[in-house]
Amino acid sequence: MNDPDPRTLTRAREGDLGAFEDLVRQYQGDVWRFAYHFTRDRSLADDVTQEAFLRAFRFLRGFRGDSKFTSWLFRIARNCAMDQIKARNVYVERVTPIAATTADPQARVELHAALDAVSAEHREPFLLVEVFGLSYQETADVLGVRVGTIKSRMHRARRAMMDALEVEEEAR
Amino acid sequence: MNHDQAERLLSARIDGERLAARATAALDQHLETCAECRAFERGAYRLREAVRFEVAPAVPDLVDEVMTAVGAQTERPRSRLRVVRPQRSPRRSILPRLAPVAAALVVGALIGSLVVGGPWQRPEAGSAFAATDVVEGISAAAARLDAYRASFAIDERHLSPDVPERHLAMRVWFEAPERFRLDVVDHTDYPTTTTPTDLKLVVDGSTSYASGPSPCPTATCPQRESVVRNRLPFSTAAAAPTDLVLPISTLADADRLTVLGRGTVLGRPAVRVEVPFERAEPLFPFLSIGGDWRPFFPNDRVRIWLDERNWFPLRWNVYPATGAERDAWALRFGLPDEPSLRSVFSVRALDVSLDTPDASVFDIPVTASAQDQGAREVDLSDVRRETGFEPIAPGTVGGLDRYRAVLPRDDSGETLVAYADGLEFLNLGETRSWNGDAPFGPVGVQAEEVPLTGGGVAYYEPASQDHGRRIAIHAAGTDLYLESNLPRSRLLAAAAALPVQGLPMPAAWTFRRVGAATAERVSLETARASVPFPIELPSDLPAGFGLASVELVDAGYGAGVTLYLRDEDADAGIGTIRLHLEAASELPPATSADQSSVDIGVLPGRFTPDRSQLEWIDGGLYRSLDAPGLALDELLAIAISIGADEPDG
Repeated sequence: MNDPDPRTLTRAREGDLGAFEDLVRQYQGDVWRFAYHFTRDRSLADDVTQEAFLRAFRFLRGFRGDSKFTSWLFRIARNCAMDQIKARNVYVERVTPIAATTADPQARVELHAALDAVSAEHREPFLLVEVFGLSYQETADVLGVRVGTIKSRMHRARRAMMDALEVEEEAR
Repeated sequence: MNHDQAERLLSARIDGERLAARATAALDQHLETCAECRAFERGAYRLREAVRFEVAPAVPDLVDEVMTAVGAQTERPRSRLRVVRPQRSPRRSILPRLAPVAAALVVGALIGSLVVGGPWQRPEAGSAFAATDVVEGISAAAARLDAYRASFAIDERHLSPDVPERHLAMRVWFEAPERFRLDVVDHTDYPTTTTPTDLKLVVDGSTSYASGPSPCPTATCPQRESVVRNRLPFSTAAAAPTDLVLPISTLADADRLTVLGRGTVLGRPAVRVEVPFERAEPLFPFLSIGGDWRPFFPNDRVRIWLDERNWFPLRWNVYPATGAERDAWALRFGLPDEPSLRSVFSVRALDVSLDTPDASVFDIPVTASAQDQGAREVDLSDVRRETGFEPIAPGTVGGLDRYRAVLPRDDSGETLVAYADGLEFLNLGETRSWNGDAPFGPVGVQAEEVPLTGGGVAYYEPASQDHGRRIAIHAAGTDLYLESNLPRSRLLAAAAALPVQGLPMPAAWTFRRVGAATAERVSLETARASVPFPIELPSDLPAGFGLASVELVDAGYGAGVTLYLRDEDADAGIGTIRLHLEAASELPPATSADQSSVDIGVLPGRFTPDRSQLEWIDGGLYRSLDAPGLALDELLAIAISIGADEPDG
């Protein structure tokens, strides 16, 4: 994922709404997909995206450029998604369980079941690296952990998902 | 180098991370001799393929919304930070229509205008009303209601620590078949500058409008307007929340409501009923239109006073549920201690009238942009010219009158004819060129097969969050669907009266692939003849639940069976109960950190809370039971009853 034109970024930091709008246009798709992977809920992904850009606008002056802009933006989006998930946890799981289609053994072979099978701690780096193409360093920046941690979580995520996906082949 | 180290290095290399030369050499050497690690590498690439080729969801364009919110933030700098109230639920545009269970009964006529006022009393001991009386009464009243207007007072507790109480006013207007308006005006005296929760929702046939403050992290949030043009008749995506007029969705199911007693509310004889919040959501449509509202727990109790003569909801209160789960939930939302006997939210009718509202009430404000649902209104006489076929469109269906016809999407070759009477509706969709791999319309391949009186079969699904009750009919040369808020029995009768003979699902629909497994819809008898183990059904199911469909599942190592058990009226709350069986001597490996061991009768089993799933082995048979809306004790009761007293012999 490419970082924005530094001039656009500078103008946006100075409060140029047109420049910020360019950033929104450029990254809304990635932020939304990221939010959707997190929440598996379209309307919630809309909210997370909107709030992430609102927060990004508010804190843009504080962005010092010590990580990539995209890593910084994803970190904000992640925080917004976590807030939403925490906020709605009990309620939504009762109303629209995310795992509603993945519970029986035939669905163990499904990708989503496999994603459900790994903990959030492992799913997050996996999605950032595999789906969004971030490097380990960028992923570490987004998640606020060390690169070595990403390395071992990627390994464990892969192992767990493969186990979940191939459990029939191997178990029988 | 051991497997773990090798896999870790492999994993990094697959991700394009640079390895030290020595590590690379050691890894390649290990791979040459280790089949297991080579399998890991192949598996990782297969996984990548699966993840990257997963169908990406369509991404919405949010630039305008974001920039509006950003603009509002720059124009009105925040005076202070405020606790941001979390979202309660995925915000569906408006809640769905559901419908009542039993056939209509004649109830007292709705006469004139009534004005309610004065103190209310405690219910009398005992009750002459049964739950079915309430459900049937509301159902019968629904068809008779042509017009309605009312005003209400809304009181809310515990929005946030600095806003312990709020007071709002609500007005509602309705005119059959499809005109509705809801206004909410926020009279709260906020301690600081805050955008009031002022809401407006107008539905007028093919157009609808909604406005309210959008959720935002600040106290002053931008107003958001949305308009839907070329709206589908009785669109559930842009619905009129008519439960405020008559709670036909909330109180659709006699099995799930409790009659508490009778009394007098505001001078009127009234009956009081209780349902959990998760079923009463249609009585709180304002929560999803916009603004800031307190959260509610699914099991919070909603007590509703209904006018005995016409079934209008006169007053409803939310009382906190009890228990550790609710306490933990409340803590997360930063709610104070809420005693279970003290109402935290109330809606009170101030006056109710059956007068027809002025037409101008339903005027839709002019706005720049609108979402287009693509439904083009047509004269029935023109449909043949447009689509090349004469749709099946009797003057009345299920006792409802033909109301309007649309072509739902240009060039789709589909027609949609809507029928209505009072608050009841039925949509009849048709196409002559259906080539999908599932029934036409919002009906899935796991729908229940129902025989129609007069011959033929149809496929039925109960009401859900997104749809009313619906039926698909696959007939020679044509495919139809019906969607309605009519009770099941009336919907089935309406389908049976159509001049078509429903055929069983073609083979192409009954067979599907699920990853590496295949699933085939079969009859229970076929399933029994196809697997080497007995298929026993649970005898203890929630009221109203029955077997909807059966699938034979083959994941390449022997046959399994999945049974789908559903409520015949509405999916709200519990959802579909699935029971899967296959021959196995041990449970599959654990897949979630939250799994725990439970005893299922005398057998050891496993419970996965985030999937509401029980798994256990019983005499060489693996069983998996799950239902999104059931708690562990409810799942256990069902599990233990399997085979105990088989309902179908």
